[in-house]
Amino acid sequence: MAIRRFITCFLFFGLLLPGVSAHALVTDLSNKRIEIRYSFSGAELILFGAVGSTNIDVRQEDYDVVIVVRGPEAPAVVRKKARVGAIWVNADDMRFPSAPGYYAVAATRPLNEIANPVAFASYGIGFHNLPLVADSGNGLMMPDPEFREALFRLRSGDGLYRQEKDDVAIIGQGLFRTNVHLPANVPVGEFIVETFIFQHGSMRSRNRISLTVDKEGFERAAYNFAHGYPFWYGIVAVIVALGAGWLAGVLGKK
Amino acid sequence: MPLYLPIAELSMNVFVVMGMGALVGLLSGIFGVGGGFLMTPLLIFAGVPPAVAVATQSNQITAASVSGVIAHWRRQGVDVKMGVVLIAGGAVGAFIGAEIFTYLRSLGQVDLMISIAYVVFLGLIGGLMFWESMRAIMRQRRGYVPPRKPREERHKAWIHALPFKMRFRKSRLYISALLPLVIGFFVGVLSAIMGVGGGFVMVPAMIYILAMPTNVVIGTSLFQIIFVTALTTIFHSVNTQTVDIFLAILLLPGAVIGAQIGARIGMKLKAEQLRALLALMVLLVCAKMAVALVVEPPELYSVADLEEIGERH
Repeated sequence: MAIRRFITCFLFFGLLLPGVSAHALVTDLSNKRIEIRYSFSGAELILFGAVGSTNIDVRQEDYDVVIVVRGPEAPAVVRKKARVGAIWVNADDMRFPSAPGYYAVAATRPLNEIANPVAFASYGIGFHNLPLVADSGNGLMMPDPEFREALFRLRSGDGLYRQEKDDVAIIGQGLFRTNVHLPANVPVGEFIVETFIFQHGSMRSRNRISLTVDKEGFERAAYNFAHGYPFWYGIVAVIVALGAGWLAGVLGKK
Repeated sequence: MPLYLPIAELSMNVFVVMGMGALVGLLSGIFGVGGGFLMTPLLIFAGVPPAVAVATQSNQITAASVSGVIAHWRRQGVDVKMGVVLIAGGAVGAFIGAEIFTYLRSLGQVDLMISIAYVVFLGLIGGLMFWESMRAIMRQRRGYVPPRKPREERHKAWIHALPFKMRFRKSRLYISALLPLVIGFFVGVLSAIMGVGGGFVMVPAMIYILAMPTNVVIGTSLFQIIFVTALTTIFHSVNTQTVDIFLAILLLPGAVIGAQIGARIGMKLKAEQLRALLALMVLLVCAKMAVALVVEPPELYSVADLEEIGERH
């Protein structure tokens, strides 16, 4: 009898669980490991996801998807040129101890139609809501908005920051997809792909998966060699140059 | 066909890179110059980071100079003793140049230094060369032949007053070792900060200051460039890890083949005209870089990865 009641209880709460977690969300990438090889000129990934059955039926009510892809964080410096005498020289600079090396936001609609800015700010969605700090030399401080804006503009120009550029397509039946564009100069490391489901202006569900970008094979070996054993790399570079030059000189004679 | 360069961390079209090598090789063959002063700016214009362009160019010049020196060596056109003294000065110069380079890179001023160095030296050398070749062309038209000074008299008096005199048999000189040491040092610094072999400074210095016989000038200059650029390559590898062997190798075949064809074209042109053309080309590169320094850039800001350039406050 006791066992029977336990099972009933389990089933009862078990059935309630999806209601508690609002939307069940599953996402996956067409490729979770990007290898930079000799022919690498950028990569295009497909992210697809599904919103499961919930207390609010996605088949009847509209929902919005916002996908944020964030690359490894690294210290960066933004410099500003100023006229000194007759020439333009790097004068001011601002250091960002941890700026994302890649940052992309894709959404089903323009962000301002999905929810109000406060909602995005609380989840750190959008470059302007990233908690970026600057290093003033004697402690951290809020960065000068001009420099922050410049960081965004420059990296957007390099294809490293993408905002309001990519669409998330809703295929139907709670299914959606988007393309993730990684340029050739993408930094290596761990990437985080976060998916948010918005409905009626508020966040209903989120999930995160990861993605790895790494130099592979010969490219990895060459990079490691150059950075791990710089002296020997230099020696090898010289030997290769001497050999190639000698070969060219001998062949050129004929 | 794109190729990812692991050190420069960018993807470049193989044929574009090889074409650039061939173009600079052709020009260097026509004019008999190393071509570093053309290749480094060209790489920068093509989007290669200036630091990688300079360091990689050193590597490529080593290769190009080896292929060039073989022919001079066969016809006894290398003064090894003079070369060794120049290399001794050049080694110290390259070391100091590479240190300056690393320091300025961490301050974010290396691009500026490269530009200023190019504008100053190309302007100076190009201007002098242009003036000299124009004078020669004018004199030839008027049929004026300047009286040749004997070699001994070409040295200024102060040169003979310097201590540490050394005999250089192949150059038939008995002069102070300080002179080639200082010249070598100076060229070594230039090699490290500009990504050039320094032939455009070394050759005039050998002719006008050291008064070396012309048949050993080019060979000895190439000989010392091999060693100084090899050292520069190692210094840059250790300091900044900016030498891209793959980029250097890609540039080489085009440069060597281009130089062979260029040399054949060069033989058909008159020496004075050739020098005037070269001077114009040098001044053109100089002007392009000067304009970039003076005109307000469309984008005032720039971003750099601090881990790559090395922290230094």
